[in-house]
Amino acid sequence: MRTNLMRGTAALTLAATALAMTACGSSSSSSKAGAASGSHGKVTLTFVNWDGGMQAAVDQWNQANPDIQVQLSKPSGTGYTLYNKLITNNAAGTNPDVTEVEYQALPALIANKVIVPIDQYIGDISADFDKSSLAQVQFEGKTYGVPQNVCPMVFFYRKDIFDSLGLKPPTTWDEYAADAATIHAKNPKQYIGNFSAVDSGWFAGLAQQAGANWWTTSGTTWNVAIDDAPTQKVANYWSNLIDKGLVSPEPNWSPQWSTDMNSGNIIGWVSAQWAPNQFPSVAKDTAGKWVAAPLPAWTAGDPTVGIWGGETEAVTANSKHPAEAAKFVKWLNSSTEGVKTLIQQVAAFPASLSNQNQDALKTPPPFMSDQQDYNTLIAQAAKNVRTFQVWGPNANVTFDAYSNDFAAALQNKTPLSAALTQMQQATVDDLKKRGFSVTG
Amino acid sequence: MKAPRRRHTLLPQILLIPAVVLFLLFTVAPGAYAIYLSFMKQKAGGGLFGTDNPTTVFAGLENYRAAFGDAEFWHSIGRMLLVAVIGVPATIGFSTLFALCLDAKRTRLVGFSRLAIFLPYAVPGVVATLLWGFMYLPATSPIGGDTINYFGSHTVFFAVANVAVWGVLGFNMVVIYTSLRGLPRELFQAAELDGASELQIALRIKLPLLAPTLTLVTVFSLIGALQLFNEPTTLKPVTNAISSTWVPLMRVYTDAFVDNDIYRGAAASFLLIVLTVAATVAANTVLRLIARRSER
Repeated sequence: MRTNLMRGTAALTLAATALAMTACGSSSSSSKAGAASGSHGKVTLTFVNWDGGMQAAVDQWNQANPDIQVQLSKPSGTGYTLYNKLITNNAAGTNPDVTEVEYQALPALIANKVIVPIDQYIGDISADFDKSSLAQVQFEGKTYGVPQNVCPMVFFYRKDIFDSLGLKPPTTWDEYAADAATIHAKNPKQYIGNFSAVDSGWFAGLAQQAGANWWTTSGTTWNVAIDDAPTQKVANYWSNLIDKGLVSPEPNWSPQWSTDMNSGNIIGWVSAQWAPNQFPSVAKDTAGKWVAAPLPAWTAGDPTVGIWGGETEAVTANSKHPAEAAKFVKWLNSSTEGVKTLIQQVAAFPASLSNQNQDALKTPPPFMSDQQDYNTLIAQAAKNVRTFQVWGPNANVTFDAYSNDFAAALQNKTPLSAALTQMQQATVDDLKKRGFSVTG
Repeated sequence: MKAPRRRHTLLPQILLIPAVVLFLLFTVAPGAYAIYLSFMKQKAGGGLFGTDNPTTVFAGLENYRAAFGDAEFWHSIGRMLLVAVIGVPATIGFSTLFALCLDAKRTRLVGFSRLAIFLPYAVPGVVATLLWGFMYLPATSPIGGDTINYFGSHTVFFAVANVAVWGVLGFNMVVIYTSLRGLPRELFQAAELDGASELQIALRIKLPLLAPTLTLVTVFSLIGALQLFNEPTTLKPVTNAISSTWVPLMRVYTDAFVDNDIYRGAAASFLLIVLTVAATVAANTVLRLIARRSER
């Protein structure tokens, strides 16, 4: 009975999808004809974005542009749930005009022809962005989006608890390890942080800081070096902490982690610029108690940091109004008004250089109300960002392998470096299978 | 029952048409398309991202060879079987026990108890799993998460099976209970007059008569076990013990929608269908033999 019921539901869903697909198929052909004769009149763009506060920016745009109205919708899932859906829907032609894309997923969407270059609509943007931001959106001389934000990694810690233990925030990874030992020795329930096997972007950011370059290209050949020496160094460092039980092996974003973050069992978080936007849902009772400090360095005084996250808005291949869509994207991420709203409502740190001095950045995000210079710290870190040369066209496979192999290593208490080797293998195998030319 | 008088009517066939059309459209056609896909693969074209003229080419048995030769695929089947070995007997055992208890002569509050046991079935699988996730994690657990590691390398199988069993127990209980209520009461009265206790009636009379129903329920549970997906998928983010390829359906899903290789996903799912059909037929045959023997 249960199976019958489920089959019935599936049939209904399929029928609806089939209808939707035919509907879109016919509308796309008719509007293509319209576009050929030159688009005029009112245009409505659909925009998918999961960031809280984005509606404010959209409202502002809609008010100023009565002819190009933007309709914001939240995707049913974030991150790769959205990207995989975009890839699947691309063939059916049902994608929105504009979509949020994190930098690491952009190459995969390009490889699957989900998004299109927008150079012809936005012109040259190289004057307003630094090299590392441009490297995230420009490939083979084409621009696939206007960079929105920079998300340098920083270290957040519970100042009240660190003070009571007589500790200062660690400036090097050696100090981090020493602090981890002190904290855990004083209270076996307390940890300086956790090692998360669900956040591959987090580990990638740490590897970037250490000097890794997971993907490089020469001509049209990809070189994959996920188990290179710098990454091995990072993996071994954390392996050591995990073996000694000095960091919690529990994944981020679980009820377990949130409870520990809120209760003071976990008193540090190696995270990134956007963390204050997440704290209210992770550890709501601790507002004002967390303070950000520069990410610990491998050698004292080295300010280099990696990034965790960061995103752009891209125009999809399904869009019938790419010119208008690109115009909106450019306004959102590089105009004074657009970026101001992003800073105030989405708590972004803008990638647009001319906007990094906005007055809006002089006030910290609400959760960090006690740290007046929060954005000064972020600006400083943003100057010293080091990223990979490029994210691979199958970073989704790499990230999935990370979550499986690192989780298994934590579960079975085996070295993380072995998991790196598996990650490398999975990534190279997948590229070869798809017919890319690969070395490494 | 009497045989119908009029024989030459087309009504049955006509009534069947909608079902057949739906079956062809939404089971056979997508299935055939999936089989077609399983023999194809995407080949990157020129350029750094392979976007210049990418092609879909015939792959022969490559996808099948990959799925068949993939150790992780067989591991995922092994894990699914482990959960089934724990979950199926528990489902059948407990639902039979509850049904017999409700059917016993002196049971009170039957209506309320039946509803209470059935209620978990009405809770969507994802919600149920989230709920159990909270119960398992040490920081939020009211049931001893500090002392018991529910997500240990071995205990995780029980943790997953528990959620699945909790969800379908009520449904199976109702099926068995309904069948129990349909048994002739005179039999029990006769047994009672012969001096049989409530327990003896349950074990010696009710249980054997339930055999056909139990067969049905077991096949349902086996199919349910093969379709294990919701529970481990929802628990995955909260623990290191569950990978994205933990059970076969997760493997198929990951192939198709995470790694974006629908071709290999199609091959793996076709393999899985073959295995599922084979397992169901085998289980059905064996159970029917057992049932027939116990009827004698």
